[in-house]
Amino acid sequence: MSTFEEIAAAVISGNAKKVKESAEQALAEGAAPQAIVNEGLIAGMNVVGVKFKNNEVYVPEVLISARAMHAGMDVVKPLLSDADVQDKGTILVGTVKGDLHDIGKNLVRMMLEGAGYKVIDLGVDIAPDKFAQAVEEHKPQVVGLSALLTTTMSSMRSTIERLKGYPVKVMIGGAPVTQKFADEIGADAYASDAASAVEKADQLMAS
Amino acid sequence: MNSYERVLSALQHKEPDRVPLDLGGGCVTGITGKAYRHLLDYLGYKDTGISVQDQVQQLVRVDEFILDRFGVDTRAVWPQPPSTWNFERKDDGQYWSFTDEWEIVWKMPKEDGFYYDMRKHPLAEVESAEQLTDFAWPNPLDPARLRGLGAKAKDLQHSTQACLMLNGPSAGFFELGGWLRGYENWYMDMLINPLLAEKLLDKTLEIRMKFLGKALDELKDSILVVVETEDLGSQTGPLISPQLYRKFVKPRQKELYSFIKKKAPGVYVFLHSCGSYYEIIPDLIDAGVDILNPVQFTTPKMDAAGLKKEFGKDLTFWGGGVDTQYTLSRGTPEQVRDEVKRQIEVLAPGGGFVFNTVHNIQADVPAENIIAMLETVKEYGAY
Repeated sequence: MSTFEEIAAAVISGNAKKVKESAEQALAEGAAPQAIVNEGLIAGMNVVGVKFKNNEVYVPEVLISARAMHAGMDVVKPLLSDADVQDKGTILVGTVKGDLHDIGKNLVRMMLEGAGYKVIDLGVDIAPDKFAQAVEEHKPQVVGLSALLTTTMSSMRSTIERLKGYPVKVMIGGAPVTQKFADEIGADAYASDAASAVEKADQLMAS
Repeated sequence: MNSYERVLSALQHKEPDRVPLDLGGGCVTGITGKAYRHLLDYLGYKDTGISVQDQVQQLVRVDEFILDRFGVDTRAVWPQPPSTWNFERKDDGQYWSFTDEWEIVWKMPKEDGFYYDMRKHPLAEVESAEQLTDFAWPNPLDPARLRGLGAKAKDLQHSTQACLMLNGPSAGFFELGGWLRGYENWYMDMLINPLLAEKLLDKTLEIRMKFLGKALDELKDSILVVVETEDLGSQTGPLISPQLYRKFVKPRQKELYSFIKKKAPGVYVFLHSCGSYYEIIPDLIDAGVDILNPVQFTTPKMDAAGLKKEFGKDLTFWGGGVDTQYTLSRGTPEQVRDEVKRQIEVLAPGGGFVFNTVHNIQADVPAENIIAMLETVKEYGAY
């Protein structure tokens, strides 16, 4: 098994210590930091995403994999100069106004980070104006809106209204959210789970 | 047939005279203040005040005249707060906040808020099982919780002849792990700090059993159902793997549910868990669950006909009457009627069904849809 494969395998099994050691070993062997990210950490998280979507692993396993990925990032990140950093793009995420739930949104953030995106997490109970301000500040390509409640889904509609005119694509998700609702409120994409959020983000970036 | 007999018959998997109906008997089968206000206004009770029973979910105590009007067969029994704690709402800028008896801090936006949500988890920083002993755990045996409740429940049972459901005082023993540690810590604990997870669950289970031991002594002759609330499912599948469930949750469920049944023979164990968790339903039956709620039939592998066919002999489905994520909140009264009718057709045969929505009726549900639902249950609920 190559060191990259070892890193990926340790991300998949959620072994943070092993990821850290293997990332250090890869550096010692002369691997490029960005290659460790792409071929080790991201490769591992991709597998986790697929397994999560297929109900082969569950929330706890995803969380420890994300933690392991971060342990590897901590090793590699200081060595990446700004010019080296090849994020796939910037995505802004937040739970919409009136809604303070965040585990779903956090899983999406972890999966997007695990797929190589730079993610700005605004947190919970984010009003449409706050999303707009953050879009101006961070210039993301995609904005991800989360809601757990049927009652707060309407904030998604007002947020999308508010973001009209900005050059961003909006994707939405959360327990009660459906493709039909996404179409109704003019969202660019709907993701049914955290792993699908990565696929949808990839599609939006390519479109 | 009175309400008690009707529910009992359903629980014994025998067909009663009509499908029993629950509204507000449990902390997960009720109606929120905003939706209730709309309903009262719509029915012409414009000056009637409402009383919030469950602050976190903003659930109301449904008035007797409403329960009576729609032929609701259940009544809620709630313990009182302990002597050391009282609900105190604080002004926290754009939020209302309060701290519960577990020291969990809850906040709700003042504007457009629907729920209190947890913003501070008291055991988030704990790293080892030993540290759990330093925590000021609630006293489940505080006499204030049950003072006078036995007589009150007896009166309520006598005056309504209904099925009484014991709620509270807090979430299920497993759910509390997430509340005390924070969900992300908690889910990871089970894999990377299993000893902490085990010890924490031992503690929350011990508290639950001590409370129920005393509560059932007082209430066993008047209640029919004990409500246990856990979260095992998500919109797409189980939250934790069946393996983790079997390691951490199931043995303790077995211990708790057999304790309940030993303490109060004839009382039924009601388990609430939203979402999809088909994979562990046989385990839940094995652990002693009698009643499954809320039967979120729109999620994968949880379709009502399939569940009824496979588990209908062993479980009473309490819920699954109408979808709340779409139909009840966004559908038309006609769509509500159609769905309620269909769900009754699927779930009612042979008993083992108590009509309820899939979780509490939320603030955005129009009164017309609630009425359409209740009228349809009345119209099509006869056996």
